[in-house]
Amino acid sequence: MLGPPSFIFRSVVRFLFFLVNVFALYLLLRGHNLPGGGFIAGLASAISLILLSLGIGLAELHRVMRFDPMRLATAGLALALGTGLIPVGMGRPFLEHFDGYLEHVPLLGRVHVGTPLLFDFGVYLVVVGITCKVIFVLGKSTQRLVALVAEDAARYASPVERPIEETEEEGGRNGS
Amino acid sequence: MLLLALGLPMVGSPFLALAGRRLGARVGWLALILPVMSTVLLGVLAMDRSLPARWGVELPWVPTLGLNLSFLVDGLSLMFGLVVSGMGCLVIFHAIFYLGTDYAHLGRFYSYLALFMGAMLGTVFADHVVLLFLFWELTGVTSFLLIGFLHGEEKSRVGARQALLVTGSTGLALFAGVMLLQRATGTSSLSVLLERGLPWGERGGELSLAMVLMLVGAFGKSAQFPFHFWLPNAMAAPTPVSAYLHSATMVKLGVFLVARMYPLFVVSPLWLPLLGTVGFTTMLLAAVLALVSHDLKSILAWSTISQLGFLIGQYGLGPVGGVGHDQLHLLNHVLYKGCLFMVAGVAMHATGLRDVREMGGLFRRLPLLGMAAVLAGGSMAGLPGTLGFLGKEAMLADLFQPLRDGASPWVLYAVGCAGVASVVKIAFSLRLVTGVFFGKEPDGVALQYHAPGLGMQLPALLLAAGSLLFGVWPGLLDGLFGQWAVEGLNRPKPLAVWHGWSVELFTSAGMVMMGVLLHEVGRRTGWRGWRIPGVLQADKAFEWLVERFQGWTKVWTRGLRADRPADHLPIVVTFVVMALGAGLLGLVPGLAERLWPEDVGMDPLRTGVAGLIAMTVVGVLVLRRWTAQLISLAVSGFLTCFYFVLYRAPDLALTQILVETVTLILVLLLLARFPNSAQVGEETRRPGRWTHYFHIGLSLATGCVATGLILVVTSAPHPEPLGARYLEQTVPLAKGSNAVNTLLVDFRGFDTLGEVTVLVVATLGCLGLLMRYKRTPEETRQGPLGPPGFGVEEQRED
Repeated sequence: MLGPPSFIFRSVVRFLFFLVNVFALYLLLRGHNLPGGGFIAGLASAISLILLSLGIGLAELHRVMRFDPMRLATAGLALALGTGLIPVGMGRPFLEHFDGYLEHVPLLGRVHVGTPLLFDFGVYLVVVGITCKVIFVLGKSTQRLVALVAEDAARYASPVERPIEETEEEGGRNGS
Repeated sequence: MLLLALGLPMVGSPFLALAGRRLGARVGWLALILPVMSTVLLGVLAMDRSLPARWGVELPWVPTLGLNLSFLVDGLSLMFGLVVSGMGCLVIFHAIFYLGTDYAHLGRFYSYLALFMGAMLGTVFADHVVLLFLFWELTGVTSFLLIGFLHGEEKSRVGARQALLVTGSTGLALFAGVMLLQRATGTSSLSVLLERGLPWGERGGELSLAMVLMLVGAFGKSAQFPFHFWLPNAMAAPTPVSAYLHSATMVKLGVFLVARMYPLFVVSPLWLPLLGTVGFTTMLLAAVLALVSHDLKSILAWSTISQLGFLIGQYGLGPVGGVGHDQLHLLNHVLYKGCLFMVAGVAMHATGLRDVREMGGLFRRLPLLGMAAVLAGGSMAGLPGTLGFLGKEAMLADLFQPLRDGASPWVLYAVGCAGVASVVKIAFSLRLVTGVFFGKEPDGVALQYHAPGLGMQLPALLLAAGSLLFGVWPGLLDGLFGQWAVEGLNRPKPLAVWHGWSVELFTSAGMVMMGVLLHEVGRRTGWRGWRIPGVLQADKAFEWLVERFQGWTKVWTRGLRADRPADHLPIVVTFVVMALGAGLLGLVPGLAERLWPEDVGMDPLRTGVAGLIAMTVVGVLVLRRWTAQLISLAVSGFLTCFYFVLYRAPDLALTQILVETVTLILVLLLLARFPNSAQVGEETRRPGRWTHYFHIGLSLATGCVATGLILVVTSAPHPEPLGARYLEQTVPLAKGSNAVNTLLVDFRGFDTLGEVTVLVVATLGCLGLLMRYKRTPEETRQGPLGPPGFGVEEQRED
């Protein structure tokens, strides 16, 4: 489906990957005060990764991205939940946020930081993780590639269940 | 201290699961710490005489719902708590030797067990009725996990599902009952209820309904008729689990609940008929089924149900003011049944057999265990010298007392059932002990026998010794029972081994004789033809129902064509159009005058963008190639983003652009799977003329309904828009000037967290579904157009 590999496309994609991610980071950081935020930044990053996958091919992708994107999603969920739980540990309501100012940051001076950013970063990770995972799996399934590696099978499939086609057949047999 | 005793197993449980990977089989010793700690702490509490008879602890949890972690400590909860934690020690000790290193995921096993123990303790100590329900259901869930622990086996899965369905659904009845009780009395604290009593005068009807619902919950949990069938199937769990959950603790929760309710509800006219019939029917039915079963654990399961029936039934018979011997019966059952389960576990472990008919002659090989079995079996049958004898005397005395006072039909029924059940019970106790330990040793036993360690037998020996000790010297218990007595529930009478030549003694002797006779009949016939009659196999009927339900849902799914979007969508859309259209029709008359309000200006830019969107949509209809159609659709999406920008919603526009991009990629990827273009598909599967017209009409109707909806919604602005408030508060409260973002992460952060969790869960479910479309490596080799699915490689390449 992708046609012959194109050097130009690949180089452009590599450059774009960098650019889009910087933009995503920018969106994420400014999210609290200006348009942006974790969800949008996550989508932008996911698109950059998808572009990369189109550029270098899904088969080669695992050499660059050496872990399961689902791990990003779970890490993000844990981060968001953790941010919510910290105030509970201090006897405050769940998901209460704090903020403060960092003085004398090089180049920037006075910086306003707060725990909403951490929460937003969690959302960002979840969005990146699941978007990539679903698109990669579906993409691989269309390209004669092995969509789910053996580790995935151990994680997401039950050893007890049989593939759907088989059970359908059996249902037909029982019915007839 | 109480909170520590309750919280330890709960908090320790996840650590056990983590430690399990490192420690392997040794994690059991770590797990043993938890129940021992709890037992010691509870024991100290129980011995402390300076505490009042009923006291409580409260911790705020969800104060907005009025739901606090409030616990109630009195004799009943202490006694159950000690049984739970004490049995927990013995069972985990037993499990360490029983499971050994033969099973995988031991950490997980002990983790479930600890969690279960925590849930049990929570249930018995709960003061808030909703808290009680929560812990109650948690025990059901952990029991599901434990029954299904060997999830590779079909039997385990079926048993676990059955247990969860039965106890879970009856648990919902309990919840409804608890809610009704809360509404009728205005309080949800058990201690307050126990102090004040129930307003029977004013709200009798509601209270009766609440009582029936709560009792249904208790019957489900304690496997009472007609919910009795799940317990024998739950025996698919490893034996220590059966010994703990399904004889000593969890199934006793029903008994516990009935005991908790006793002081409150005993005055109800429904109390005796309901508890009496259900309890004693179960007692008789289960006893007969125990006699005709052959599987070692099945016999024990049925006998447990029978005894539970009695325990529940005796509360039904009890007079206002308190029953005399419930503590005795409870302790007695815990001692002998826990012991017998462990004996059965050891015997099965040693021989690898489960069928009583294939076993025998183990006494010579395991004399100590044999002694324990004889004691426990004797206790079950009620032979003198054991605690069971006292229990039986007390039972007969309690049964005969109301008979002398004046017999109601319920009491007569109870006496009849209990009498026959006792005879049968003696027969199967005899069968169990002689069948396993005496007689000739069959070849199968000799062939497979391997000696179990002493550690495995020790807990059973301890329990049997307890049964003997208390049976010979019941004075030991008097003090304890007196201290644990709850006002309105217990009226402990002094226990004695010898009551003189009473009617009870003669009846008891007669029963023993008849029981032995019955056993002899069975032995002579070689137990041939003794099986559970088909009519009584309620578990089969239940499974049939579950199967039928699945079939029924499948029929519906197929009927609605959920697997073919082309057929499924019209159904959904027709329904929406009809439902919304009917609602809209009522608003049409008022709509006419609002249709052209004066203040609608025709902004040239917005009109232009809207026109462009309309053009792209027409393009989707007109264009022939699917790629062109798709791009046209995408363009309409991007134009919508532009529209958002015009309305000064930059966040929405950004999100829309990115979502549009990702969706486009996703759809392109998926469409690439299809071998032919949409045009080919359209030609080969051209709908009939009428279908075509129907689709056109439906599309037009959908458009009309959507337009009408927008007009109606915009013509009546919301009186109090929320947006303004958030805009005002975003800087002072959330310290951020982007109101959309502060809304997401701060004001409604809880919602966002929920959504993110749902995203992850949905993806996991999606991956799980995709994995079921597995393509074997051979199919993968057929090329991209082979059967659809997701290949699974056996080994990673690099």
